[in-house]
Amino acid sequence: MSISGPDADTPLLAVSGLSAYYGELRALYDVTLSVRTGEVLSIIGANGAGKSTLLKSIVGMMNRGAAAHIQGDIEFAGRRIAGRATEDIVDAGITMVPEGRRLFARMSVEENLAAGAFLPRCRAGLRQRMDEIYALFPKLHERREQVVAQMSGGEQQMVAIGRALMSSPRLILFDELSLGLAPAVIEEIYRKVRTIHEQGVTCIIIEQDMRRALSVADRVCVMLEGSIVLSGRPAELSEAAITAAYFGQTHR
Amino acid sequence: MTDDDVYWALIDVANGLISGTMLGGYYAIIAIGLTLTFGVMRLVNLAHGDWLVFSAYLSLVFLSLVPISPLYTLIGVVPVMYGVGYALQRLLLNRVSVQAMEQKGMSTSFGLMSPILVTFGMSIVLAQGLLAGFSSNTQVIRNELSYSAIQLSEDLSVSTLRLTFFCVAVAILVLTALLLRATHVGRAIRAASDDAEIAPLMGMRPARIYATASGISLAIAGVAGVMVGMTRPFQPFDGPQFLLVAFGVVILGGMGSLAGSLVGGILLGVVQILAGTYFGPSAQLVGGYMLILAVLALKPQGLFAR
Repeated sequence: MSISGPDADTPLLAVSGLSAYYGELRALYDVTLSVRTGEVLSIIGANGAGKSTLLKSIVGMMNRGAAAHIQGDIEFAGRRIAGRATEDIVDAGITMVPEGRRLFARMSVEENLAAGAFLPRCRAGLRQRMDEIYALFPKLHERREQVVAQMSGGEQQMVAIGRALMSSPRLILFDELSLGLAPAVIEEIYRKVRTIHEQGVTCIIIEQDMRRALSVADRVCVMLEGSIVLSGRPAELSEAAITAAYFGQTHR
Repeated sequence: MTDDDVYWALIDVANGLISGTMLGGYYAIIAIGLTLTFGVMRLVNLAHGDWLVFSAYLSLVFLSLVPISPLYTLIGVVPVMYGVGYALQRLLLNRVSVQAMEQKGMSTSFGLMSPILVTFGMSIVLAQGLLAGFSSNTQVIRNELSYSAIQLSEDLSVSTLRLTFFCVAVAILVLTALLLRATHVGRAIRAASDDAEIAPLMGMRPARIYATASGISLAIAGVAGVMVGMTRPFQPFDGPQFLLVAFGVVILGGMGSLAGSLVGGILLGVVQILAGTYFGPSAQLVGGYMLILAVLALKPQGLFAR
């Protein structure tokens, strides 16, 4: 954690007054949030609290006309990205590992990784980037010809993370990083995320497991019914306060 | 049965297999444009056959401008049809797709219907346009190849034109497969067909990918159109019969499989020719449709669907 330095005060990502709607249904209420370069932010909250919607809003997946839209402001590295197309936001340096992994199921591991380097700025360094990812996940190198639909959940999650890394992002959003994975696999995935973070990538992680969210994060946000109801450094927050915020109990 | 009878029976079968296979290559080319757009965008282009006929007329136009061998008109027809496909998708079909309709707040069922209605309308407009431009007279693209044949044995031969087209068909299938497997554009097309919502996270632009896929689809229809024009007479309202052939091949081979298109095409071609040989020319179409019905009843996902 670097608090000092000239860039410490300008956040990498700044979300302010963000509301999101699915048709008429409002899913986010005036969410304000900022993430500094090099930080790990964990977002926890019950199902339907708006965690995924927040991540989707950041990567431009909520700009779907009448079906879904956002209001408010999102800035990345000082530039406004709210309302811009997902492709442009990814080109700017944000990417997401989506919930349920969403791999290209009929493609091999290697093809999935290559698909992640579609952007013109990534194509020249594709081979080298892929080798870096194989170094991070040696298992994927062994299985590079395998069609991903036949792999285990943990291996698929590694492919999904690798695919996201192929675009050389500055900020990665992990939606439900450990959902449906075995404890040993989760342990391994989190070790890799730590390595990715050490390589200078800022991370926002949605995590169901509260203890794990607290242990990995520099900062934690608790969401409830479309709002952030509590945020702070793990050391500053008592487990009781987090639990209360999670379940929406008024006493702190 | 005398030895002679057996010999001629075998020659009949062999000729049926050869011309059926040749026909199948050309059927595959008619079909792959359709499976490509369906596979990628879930878009059934009901005007596919009409664009094919349009390309045959386009080839005639080029021939009236420059006196070249008909096959060389492909140099003009293919890029023009790619451009037509790209522009159509970008300017028209992307605006009426399921995704576009959902963005406008329409229901999914409306969204699924709208491209069908639009391409159906396009089919009528195209046929009427060709009628206005070229009259209902049947046309043919004259060429020397259709008069020559390669003699395989004393009683077995294959038309030079059909053989050429079969080779072109196989070459196009191989090239399309390579494009889809080994290029960034091809990977994007497959990715968008697999999960269009996630593809933008790779920096892919679905609107452009769809336009590219449609361009490729119509470019291949252009090749098929020139082949059709060189093999048989055609007129403005022939489009739907090619659409039917394409649907038949797709049902046999399975949607979205290139190898399936070739095998499905060959199967349809062979069955049609053999039915024609044994039960008279009118049995040709019936035989083909019976095969399609049988496959629909027994293995509706197609013989080669994964």
